[in-house]
Amino acid sequence: MNKPTLIFRNLLGRKNRFTFTLSGITMGIIALVVLISLGAGLQAQIHQQARDLGANMIVTAKGWCAYEQVKVLSGAQLPDAILPEDLEKIEAIEGITVQPYLTLGSAINNEPVSVSGVRITQLKDIRKWSIREGSFPDPIEQKYGIVAGYAVADSFDLSINQTIRLRGHEFTITGIMEQHGTADDGVLFIDLQAAMEVYETQGRVSYIAVQVDDINRIEYYSRLITDTANVAVISDQQLLNSVLSVVNTVGTTLKIIAIIAILAASFGIINTMITAIYERKRDIGILKSVGSSNQTIFQIFLGESALYGLIGGVIGLIVGNGISYVITPLIAQNEFTAFVRASSVSGTIAWQDMGFILLGSILISAVSGIYPAYKAAKLTPVEAISYE
Amino acid sequence: MSNIIEIKNLHKTYLKGVVPTKALRGVSLDISAGTFACITGPSGHGKSTLLHLMGGLDKPDTGSVHVAGQEIYQLPDKELARFRAEKLGFVFQFFNLLHNLSVLENVQIPMMFTKVPKEKQEEIALKLLTSVGLKDKVRSRATELSGGQMQRVAIARALANDPEVLLMDEPTGNLDSSAEKEVMDIVGRLHEKGKTIIIVTHEEEISRKAQRIIRIKDGCLDL
Repeated sequence: MNKPTLIFRNLLGRKNRFTFTLSGITMGIIALVVLISLGAGLQAQIHQQARDLGANMIVTAKGWCAYEQVKVLSGAQLPDAILPEDLEKIEAIEGITVQPYLTLGSAINNEPVSVSGVRITQLKDIRKWSIREGSFPDPIEQKYGIVAGYAVADSFDLSINQTIRLRGHEFTITGIMEQHGTADDGVLFIDLQAAMEVYETQGRVSYIAVQVDDINRIEYYSRLITDTANVAVISDQQLLNSVLSVVNTVGTTLKIIAIIAILAASFGIINTMITAIYERKRDIGILKSVGSSNQTIFQIFLGESALYGLIGGVIGLIVGNGISYVITPLIAQNEFTAFVRASSVSGTIAWQDMGFILLGSILISAVSGIYPAYKAAKLTPVEAISYE
Repeated sequence: MSNIIEIKNLHKTYLKGVVPTKALRGVSLDISAGTFACITGPSGHGKSTLLHLMGGLDKPDTGSVHVAGQEIYQLPDKELARFRAEKLGFVFQFFNLLHNLSVLENVQIPMMFTKVPKEKQEEIALKLLTSVGLKDKVRSRATELSGGQMQRVAIARALANDPEVLLMDEPTGNLDSSAEKEVMDIVGRLHEKGKTIIIVTHEEEISRKAQRIIRIKDGCLDL
């Protein structure tokens, strides 16, 4: 017989209470793990998306906030806010390569789907797209052609030569891309001119991705563009930081809620352990009468509390990881979660984070046990043994 | 024979609600090593209080208790706990076994506090349970035993660290006559082996077997 065995026996001797108290802390840990895991996937995907943007600067309409900047990375619908004359002026600047985007929305079988009007011929090289089936549409001979992202083709069971009606015009799928693990997987790409025509934007586009020939002159070109046209310019790094700050704010709020859930569960532990003192007063007396010191009683009660944290933490980590792995593909798509869906790294959590969570769980549970353990230790043997 | 227990001018007051009740009023007595003594007297007159104070389970208001030459109330908690584990064995009326543990583990518990290695604990516990006739019950839960069997487990537990003194509070108070005989036979054997045994009891049958009877009335020795 030793202390750990005694602690185990004490906990397992009251299976129902043990299970319910454990559930509280486990649920909190599961929530935290899922949120951290999804957040990590989201952040990794945003970084990847920013890298794959293939641009040093993004030209947007003036006054866009972080919400619109998120949409730039996720490929979601944006207003056609840049005028054709501004696009023309920017394209006239030497030393930069310009990629205009017209991000639109449509529906297939009443399900929303993202549509992007782009210069497919140039963009496929910049984005290093590869085709799984069919071919990229020829901008002249297949003006109303579509190249579908992997995920959207898979979701809607799209096939080559299938026609899709966009704003009353029939478009034909000429190609389906390989999986790239980016937001591009969830978009139908059509020719920019065709998009402007069908969606009647009168030459307006949503934003422009700009590649600078001399990377050391980004500042110069940024100023030149804003001086030349009535637009705003944001660097790829600023865009990334801006999007991450939005995502992190949401993520932090959710994590705080999960931590509050864990703290609430810790009160469950306090409650259980205080009840245990009254239920086990006689047991405490027995232990003291056969030679247990106050310190040992304190350690036993504290050990029981900490064990809730250890077991709850381990179960929470396993189940939380499992849940985040399973639910990631099931998350409804919006501007934020588009990243998670597309991500190939979501559903994972760093070992270091898991260690911190487990340690935190044990620590919170142990701290919850301090007061009950102190109360148990302070009972005199005769007071405890005479308890009926 | 030398005194194993020396009690001087022991006073103890309890609060019953807000009313102070004097349980012991200046009790002084010596008990020689190897004595089989019974503490008798009317209910509520201080018998159990005296036994608890002999065993360091409670704290006196004033007075001193020496056990095996050690003034036990001068010891800090940790050392007093160790002293209890090594020198004293307790047996209670309601057996006071830990229900989450097996019979064997109940007997091992006191050895946990004297740092006896696990294998040795098991060996000693098995030997003790065999000596009280419970070898076949070692894996049973305490709740699966009869009253007499539980009390025999309690005696085995009290003997786990081979203490010098056994303190028994109404050990047969909850047993039928055959179980009482079994328990008292064990007590008799322990006394023959030289253990000091102090039993609080109401039963004259037991008192008759004792070498010494200590009568308590109104918190004082009834001489």
